[in-house]
Amino acid sequence: MGLAGAEIRRAKLRFGLLTGAVSLLIFLVLLLSTLSSALVGALVGALEGLNADGIVYADFARDNIAASRMDPSVVTSIASVDGVVAASAVATFTTAANLTGAQADVQVFGFSPNAPGAPQGLSDGRLPTTAGEIAIDGGGATIGDVITLDPAGTSLTVVGLLRGAQFNALPTMYTTLDTYAEAFALTNPGLPFVPINAVAFDVADGADASAVAQRISSEIPDVTGYALDEAVALIPGIESISQSFGILVGLTFVIGIVVIGFFFLILTVQKLRPFTLLRAIGTSTPRLAATVASQIVLVVLIASLIAVGLTLAAVQGLNTGLPVTVQPSLILGVVVSVLIFSLLAGALSIRRIARIDPASAVGAR
Amino acid sequence: MNDSGSLLQVNDVSKVYGTGHTAVTALDQATMSVDQGEFVALLGPSGSGKTTLISIVGGLLAATSGTVTLGDIEVTALSRKDLTRFRAERVGFVFQSANLVPFLTARENLLYVATLVKTPKKAAQQRADQLLEELGLADRAKNLPEQLSGGERQRVAIGRALMNDPDLVLVDEPTASLDTALGRQVVQLLRREIKDRGKTGIMVTHDLRMVEYTDRVFEILDGHLTHVESPSTLGH
Repeated sequence: MGLAGAEIRRAKLRFGLLTGAVSLLIFLVLLLSTLSSALVGALVGALEGLNADGIVYADFARDNIAASRMDPSVVTSIASVDGVVAASAVATFTTAANLTGAQADVQVFGFSPNAPGAPQGLSDGRLPTTAGEIAIDGGGATIGDVITLDPAGTSLTVVGLLRGAQFNALPTMYTTLDTYAEAFALTNPGLPFVPINAVAFDVADGADASAVAQRISSEIPDVTGYALDEAVALIPGIESISQSFGILVGLTFVIGIVVIGFFFLILTVQKLRPFTLLRAIGTSTPRLAATVASQIVLVVLIASLIAVGLTLAAVQGLNTGLPVTVQPSLILGVVVSVLIFSLLAGALSIRRIARIDPASAVGAR
Repeated sequence: MNDSGSLLQVNDVSKVYGTGHTAVTALDQATMSVDQGEFVALLGPSGSGKTTLISIVGGLLAATSGTVTLGDIEVTALSRKDLTRFRAERVGFVFQSANLVPFLTARENLLYVATLVKTPKKAAQQRADQLLEELGLADRAKNLPEQLSGGERQRVAIGRALMNDPDLVLVDEPTASLDTALGRQVVQLLRREIKDRGKTGIMVTHDLRMVEYTDRVFEILDGHLTHVESPSTLGH
C-alpha cells in the first residue's frame, strides 16, 4: 500500500488545491513562453528562418534590414570574399495588398530560388520559382489565391504557405527578385535602380560564419556582415522583448517552484508526528523521502496535463493576430524543468524527514 | 536465545545525556532479563528513565554503555540502518500517543507494517483481518483513526504491534489517555494477545492498578532499575 497515494486519496481538497495552483503556474509559464516565441517569431521569423549562414547590411542601417540599402553589384564582391561559397541578394519592403477581400499591410521579400536567402518553414505547396508566384505566411491566404499589391497593381499567385517566416508581425510574402523588382519599381516610380536590402551568404561546411562575416566587413567598404544568429540577436527591440518576457517567465517559474517547495515543507512539518511514528516502527528515511518525492511527481504531472490543456485552449481562443503555436519541445522542457526543480525544492522536506529522531515517538528525547 | 537463556537480556545499560558538568544520567547500569512469553511491567515516576530503557531495548535510542540482546541479536551493536530493520521485523510498539498514521484506516495501519517486512499481500490481508477480528474491530476496519474512540485506537495499535509477528512487544503507557475501565480492558487484551502468541512484552506504566496483569514488575527510580519481588507492597 502506498502511503503517498493513501494520503492524497484522503486529502483530496488539499492536494486538489495544490495541483490547481501548480497547473495555473505552469499554464502561465507555457502561455507567456508561447506568446513570447510567437511575438519574436512574427517580428523576425523571416530572418531567423533565412536559408543562409550569414547576412550583410549597409553600414548605416544599424543592423536593421529594413533600413539597409545596397547596390545590387555588391553581391559579386561579397561572393568573391575568401570563405564565401555562395551569395545572393535579399530585398524587402512594406506595401499594401488585397488579402482575402480586405486591404492590409504586407511585407514583401525578394530572393533568388536555390540560393542563400530563400525562406524556410514551408508548410504546404512550394516556393516560388517563376515570376508572379509567391509563398506567404499569414493573412489567411490559401494556395491558388491571387493577391494584388497596392498601389503597384501586381497580381501574385500563392503557390506555397509558410510558417514562422513573418517579419514585423505582418503577413509576409516571398517572391523572386524579378517580381520583387517590378513591384518595388511600380510602388516607387522614378528610382534609377531597385536597391537590395541585404546579401545572404553561405560558407563552406564546418567554416566559422562569424569569422567570414568579419572578413566581409573588413574587405568590403560600407557593409557589415554577421553570422545569421548574431544578426537576429542584434535586430533592434528583439533583445528587450526577449528579456522582458524572459523575466516574466522566469519569475513565474521561480514563484511556482517556491510554492511547491513550501507547500510540501508545510505538509511535512504538519506530518512530523506520523512520520516520527513511521520511523519508530521501522520505516526507513529513504522510504519516507520517496513518499514525498512521489507526491511531488504526481502533483506536477497532473498539474502539467491540466496546464497543457489550458494552454492549448487559450491558444485556440486567443485572437492575438500572431501565428501562435505551442511547441511540444517547450511543453516538454517546461514540464521537465518544473519537475526537476520541484524535486529539488522538495529536498527541504526530505532534509526535515532525515532529521526525525524515531526515539521521540516515545518521548525519550 | 542468548547465553542466559532469556529472550531479552539487558546488561549494565547506561544512558548519559550531555557531557562534563551538564551530563545527566538517565539510566544507570540497568540490568534485567525477560523470558519468552513473559509480560513484565516497568514502573516509575516521570523522568525516572523507564522510557529511555524501552527506547534502548527497542532500538530507538543508542545506549552510552552496556549491551542489549534479543535472542541472538545484539541490539546495541546494530547500525542505524539495521536498527530500522530490526524495529520493523522484531519489535512491536504500542505508543502512548501519535500511535496511528492518521491518513490510513485501521486495516491499512496494520497492512502498512507488513509492507516493511515484505509480507505477501494476501497473507498480510488475512493476518490483518484476523487480528482486527480478535481485537473486536472487524466492523471498524475501514475507519480512519479520527473516527475511532481512544480505546479502539489503542486496540488497533496493539494489532499493528503484533502484525509482523515480533519477538518483543514494547508498550508505553497504554492507559494514559483512557479511563480506568477502558484501561483495564486494553491491558487485559494486551496480556491475552501476548500470552496467546508466546510473545515477550514490556509495559511501561505508572498505573499500579495495571500491575496485576503482568508476570513480573521492575521499577526505575532516578535511572536505577530494580526487580520488585513483592508488587503488592508498591505504593505503600
